[in-house]
Amino acid sequence: MGLLTRTKEEVPCVVTISHRFEELSAHVKFTDGSVVGPGDTVKVHGAEIMAPYGEVVEDERMATITRASGIERLWTRATGDFEFMELCEFSFSEEVTV
Amino acid sequence: MNMHAKHSADATTVEEGLAIQEEQAKFDDDFATETAMSNTLLTPRFYTTDFDELDAIDVTSVRKDWDALIAQMESDPNKGHFKKNEDWDHVDWDGMEPQLKAEFIDFLISSCTAEFSGCVLYKEMKRRGSNKDITQLFQLMARDEARHAGFINDALREAGLRVNLGFLTQSKKYTYFRPKFIYYATYLSEKIGYARYITIFRHLEANPEHRFHPIFKWFEEWCNDEFSHGEAFALLMKTDPKLTESFANKLWIKFFLTAVYSTMYVRDHQRPAFHAALGVDPDWYAHEVFTKTSVLTGQIFPLMLDIENPRWQRNLERMQRANVQIAQGKKAGGFGGFVKRMIGSARAGAAFVSLYTIPAIKHDVPDSTVLRPAY
Repeated sequence: MGLLTRTKEEVPCVVTISHRFEELSAHVKFTDGSVVGPGDTVKVHGAEIMAPYGEVVEDERMATITRASGIERLWTRATGDFEFMELCEFSFSEEVTV
Repeated sequence: MNMHAKHSADATTVEEGLAIQEEQAKFDDDFATETAMSNTLLTPRFYTTDFDELDAIDVTSVRKDWDALIAQMESDPNKGHFKKNEDWDHVDWDGMEPQLKAEFIDFLISSCTAEFSGCVLYKEMKRRGSNKDITQLFQLMARDEARHAGFINDALREAGLRVNLGFLTQSKKYTYFRPKFIYYATYLSEKIGYARYITIFRHLEANPEHRFHPIFKWFEEWCNDEFSHGEAFALLMKTDPKLTESFANKLWIKFFLTAVYSTMYVRDHQRPAFHAALGVDPDWYAHEVFTKTSVLTGQIFPLMLDIENPRWQRNLERMQRANVQIAQGKKAGGFGGFVKRMIGSARAGAAFVSLYTIPAIKHDVPDSTVLRPAY
């Protein structure tokens, strides 16, 4: 990891989507054991994935992990905490205004 | 909507579950084609944290309470609860007043996204950890969040909205949370979530004529899940007294309380038609929810906000007005819009500082954090 430079890694992953009544979820797992750190960006290759309603699908894909530069990592560590509000149910949409 | 004799949540074997799902999928595909559903994009957040620190938690000091809570979550009292039965009344989406419909759908999407983000976060913590107590807890919480998201998704589908998980193949940046901030934020979001859902549930129990959608009937069990999750985070914080006792951390706790309460106030005021349909005055609602949340969080936080202080309501209202100004500035665009936004932001900031500096009420925290849902 450079102080100012980003590096890219191509890694295999499995995308699992459950689009069922009893579970709506989606997870990306890197099969080579790669882990992401603060400020890293992940992009899964290929077309959009969606399971038909009532099903679970698993798809093996490649993903690009763009590693944050040293500066970005520090910045994310210092400021990321302030995005905590996103976890509250009342905090997401900004579509409705008075 | 169609009723199935049996739901996959009740299936006892894998084969049975699959058969029921297949049946349901056929129906839903037809349903989707019929109504030409429109897409609604989910935009969850992605987090990382210090997984080693999380792994190092030792729950020995709260073992008895911990095991009891985990056993209760494992027994899964709400399994099979989140399904439609004869209580699921017909919803007249076409007849719903457009502003109400827009706000209600916005409410469902926000709730679905929050459950979904919680699920992603908990699952990641489960996957990256090796401490059995911790991974087991996060696995159970991820299960509940995914179940809630599925239930809301179903209500959205009925309204002709299909969630789009397009974010999966888009670039997504991972932000960072220190573990202690995850405890404060998720603990508070679970407990305030409980207070919000139960307040609406009890209000509609007493005033059923305002229940304009059947999903509210499911809020009681729903919020009991939120309650349990909060209990787990309270125990986690109890394992390390510094988290709630050091001077700096007390300031953080006060910050989190102020930020979460004031955000809720501002956002709820953005849904006037929704609250009017429920027969709820958002100011009354906010006060109810804050009161309940303050009592609940007294199990672990050594301070509560003084919401009876006259400065409290006054500055919440100032913040709300500033927020409207920011929204107007954004909408107007251009230099004038920018100036309006900046003035609005400064006013919101000033209101927040004023809220934050209201002296907090200190109190002694009980030895055991254990609470039962009592509202």
